[in-house]
Amino acid sequence: MTAGWRAWCLGLGMLCAVPAQAETAEDWLQRMHDASQLDYQGVFIYERNGSFSSHQLWHAATMHGERRERLLQLDGPAHEVLRVNGRTRCLSSDLQGPLAEGQVWPARELDVGQLANWYVLRLLGSSRVAGRDAVVLGLLPRDPHRHAFELHLDRQTALPLKSVLLNEQGQMLERFQFTSLQLQAPTSTDLQPGADCRTLDTDVSALSAAQTNDWQVGWLPPGFSAQGVIRRPVPGDGVPPLQCLLFADGLARFSVFVEHLGGLSVEEAHSQLGPTVAVSRRLSARSGEVMVTVVGEIPLGTAERIALSVREAQEQASD
Amino acid sequence: MSRESLQESLSALMDNETDELELRRVLAACEEPQMRERWQRYQLARAAMHGELREPRLDLAAAVSAALTVEEAPVVKSPRQPLRTLGRFAVAASVTVAVLAGVRLYNQDSLQQQSLAQQSTAPSSFNLPQVQGPALLAAYGQQAASSAPEQGASVSAWHQQRLPEYLRQHAQQVGMGAADGALPYARAASMQGN
Repeated sequence: MTAGWRAWCLGLGMLCAVPAQAETAEDWLQRMHDASQLDYQGVFIYERNGSFSSHQLWHAATMHGERRERLLQLDGPAHEVLRVNGRTRCLSSDLQGPLAEGQVWPARELDVGQLANWYVLRLLGSSRVAGRDAVVLGLLPRDPHRHAFELHLDRQTALPLKSVLLNEQGQMLERFQFTSLQLQAPTSTDLQPGADCRTLDTDVSALSAAQTNDWQVGWLPPGFSAQGVIRRPVPGDGVPPLQCLLFADGLARFSVFVEHLGGLSVEEAHSQLGPTVAVSRRLSARSGEVMVTVVGEIPLGTAERIALSVREAQEQASD
Repeated sequence: MSRESLQESLSALMDNETDELELRRVLAACEEPQMRERWQRYQLARAAMHGELREPRLDLAAAVSAALTVEEAPVVKSPRQPLRTLGRFAVAASVTVAVLAGVRLYNQDSLQQQSLAQQSTAPSSFNLPQVQGPALLAAYGQQAASSAPEQGASVSAWHQQRLPEYLRQHAQQVGMGAADGALPYARAASMQGN
């Protein structure tokens, strides 16, 4: 009787301890990252100031030995994308532009340890999203150079069911949220893109991931590091190529575009589209006036400071 | 009151620059369908300019009229009384607030935002170090009004051509973790078809 009671107590203790134990915000983030190994499908909504849309998603961890993901907008234009192993395979024509080439760089591994240097990671409680129990994680910036994230991860799989981006006033900048989710492998028909989904030419030669860089960003917010550089030829004789530099802190990202104005007089500008700011500054370079545009999900003041710090690189330095 | 001066008063009201007498005149004239139509057109134009438009066909004139009759007539004997000026501003401001609220009510996105502001389950415990406000999402309602006009404030033709490309290019770069594809894709899609 005593032994039985003790065993029961122990069992109860373990039961209670399991959910509360070990599961730190860091553990959850790591689990979220690993959840890309799952099969799932569902419907999510995306909302930002001035835009609200719903989308269907099919995700197969392995199909023909590849990780495949298809996304289709359900209302309005049928925007569509098919990704294979994290790289864009086809895009509906309306998403394509002269610049759209999908990702040139593979998805970076999520480094939770690094992230903790720039964000306070906190477990905020539990919630329910898409009919599923979720844990709420807060990623609070340690400085004013990035926004806060609120992540609702599925308690069972750690898939992100909801993600909210908040500015320093706590105003919501965007929301991504599943309305339904099934842990079922999609069929190959589900992953078959529509007729309008055009395969991307993987002509990376025209659009090289450049090794050298003509431009330097003098000031970076702490924690952001260069992810890569793209050069794209611009139509016209002797016009230097457009350059795009990408930076990230593991969560937030911004791109710096440098384009020659070719003698045009263009005003400087700034605009905000939901979570994304765009700040343009003119800069006089040896080869003429250029427009530096910083685009990213970062605070406006930070984007301005970055834009102001862009300089022409010294005569082909060793880097 | 002539038609021209009425129209002038109407646009003054749009700019929040009427005094109370003027406001009463405009409201009286609002009985006319023509006048009312013009008011709605102005509202529509303003909403469109600020990019916050869906269906702002809400007519608040009757409600404001009723509110004014309930209010006491302004005190005339001491014209330099500061309170009187204050009251005048308060009337104009409340009209603007009511109109904005009306426009919002018909704005699908803002409707979403409002319901979000109320739905503060988990986020209520979620306070940023530098924020004094109570719940994070609670301040969201103000966002619609404040940030909409900012969008594309002085964007020249060059920017209008380049920015969508830049935004799209940026949005299509790599995301994070398991949500890697979905969020950047949704952002890119939201740049289109608006």
